Amino acid sequence: MLRPASHVSAPPTTAAVDLVGVTRLFGTVPAVVRADLRVERGETVVLRGPNGAGKSTLLRIAATSLSPTYGGGTVLGFDLLREREQIRARAELMTHSTRLYEDLTAAENLRLWCRLLGLGPEGIDGALDRVGMLEVSAERVRGFSQGMRQRVAIARVLLRGPDLLLLDEPYTGLDAEARHAVDDLLRRAPSEGRTVVLATHHPAPEGLEHRTLHVDGGRIVREAP
Amino acid sequence: MSAVATRGRPGFFRQAVAIFGKDLRIEVRGRHAAGTLLPFAATLLIAFGFAFGPGREVLERTAPGLLWMAILFSAVMASRRAYQTETEDGALEGLLLAPIDKAAVFLGKAAAVTVELLALVVAVLVMVVALFDLSIGSPLPLVAAFALGVVGLAAVGSLFGVVAESARTREAVFPMLVLPLVTPVLIAGVRATDLAAAGRANEAAQWLGLLLAFDVVFLSIGVLVFGYLMED
Repeated sequence: MLRPASHVSAPPTTAAVDLVGVTRLFGTVPAVVRADLRVERGETVVLRGPNGAGKSTLLRIAATSLSPTYGGGTVLGFDLLREREQIRARAELMTHSTRLYEDLTAAENLRLWCRLLGLGPEGIDGALDRVGMLEVSAERVRGFSQGMRQRVAIARVLLRGPDLLLLDEPYTGLDAEARHAVDDLLRRAPSEGRTVVLATHHPAPEGLEHRTLHVDGGRIVREAP
Repeated sequence: MSAVATRGRPGFFRQAVAIFGKDLRIEVRGRHAAGTLLPFAATLLIAFGFAFGPGREVLERTAPGLLWMAILFSAVMASRRAYQTETEDGALEGLLLAPIDKAAVFLGKAAAVTVELLALVVAVLVMVVALFDLSIGSPLPLVAAFALGVVGLAAVGSLFGVVAESARTREAVFPMLVLPLVTPVLIAGVRATDLAAAGRANEAAQWLGLLLAFDVVFLSIGVLVFGYLMED
């Protein structure tokens, strides 16, 4: 039976993400080619590379949103192909699409996720407060800027408390306040025991201990110092 | 690690109710049914009313068919709309990646479209009775025909809505997938409505049986395969 992330601990394997020989084709066009990606638990890894390098596809494969055409691996100790729901219960993919419903308020969006995932609603105000959105929690998302939407999305992450956070260009179109909220989420991740894989063109937040991998042509081409 | 206490994973029906409530709330706030579906159905009925002229007999004979045509096209529009809200900001991927029973998404969405269409049926029925002077001999079979027919339309629309979302030409693909499949609903609905209006309840019952069977088949298929359809 599936449970929210904090209910069941994942199997004790060393790597949070261990993709082996992963290839993903869109039609006949390869987006990722025989890529190996290993991220240890509690580690923060930043993926860098030009547009179309395959960073987003790699993240989506790790999140189980996309299936690899060839290859496989484990995420949080669960098989990428056979144990998708277990991975989904513990991982969160954040992109510049915030997955919010525009005709619901910020609080209603979070309440929906609480209902679906079996989380108590008592943490909603706290999560919105942490990203500076408590004052507008009763307003519909339709009137929010991209930055405000992204902060509500971060509040959703805080509510779920995933073991693995996969972020795909989370800084796109954000104002300073929203960028600060993303930075804060990243900085707190290690102390909260969270593994992070971040694909971005922006510099990593100052003081954040991380490893950088360069992706190009669908391959992880080198590890930067 | 979670900032809040977890209460355990909610069951299938609680998840379906959450999706149902969300869709209905969005619909009420967006006023899509009132703003688009109702004027569309009214225009269709009035246009045909004028086309057929004032002869009461012709209007009475064609009323069930026109009524179901209006419901059918409204169902297509309502089902498309139910998925447009999911794709506006990538919410459908969020539902895919959520550790929930995907069949609950199907059932919740189908239930919301059903309620929306039933509200529309009431308004359209009033219009048809007023415009075409349609008499209702057996109200109970008539209500059953609409309820069962609408459930079937919502089930097919919600099932194939998610398929159409993955297509680049989704606006064209969706009606092409749905319209041939719902032909039995259209035929059985028209016949049951016609017979119920004429007060021939017993004869209407066999068409109601067909509608019920259609609902059971497509709701079952939806519950069984929706999760697979959502996946990459």
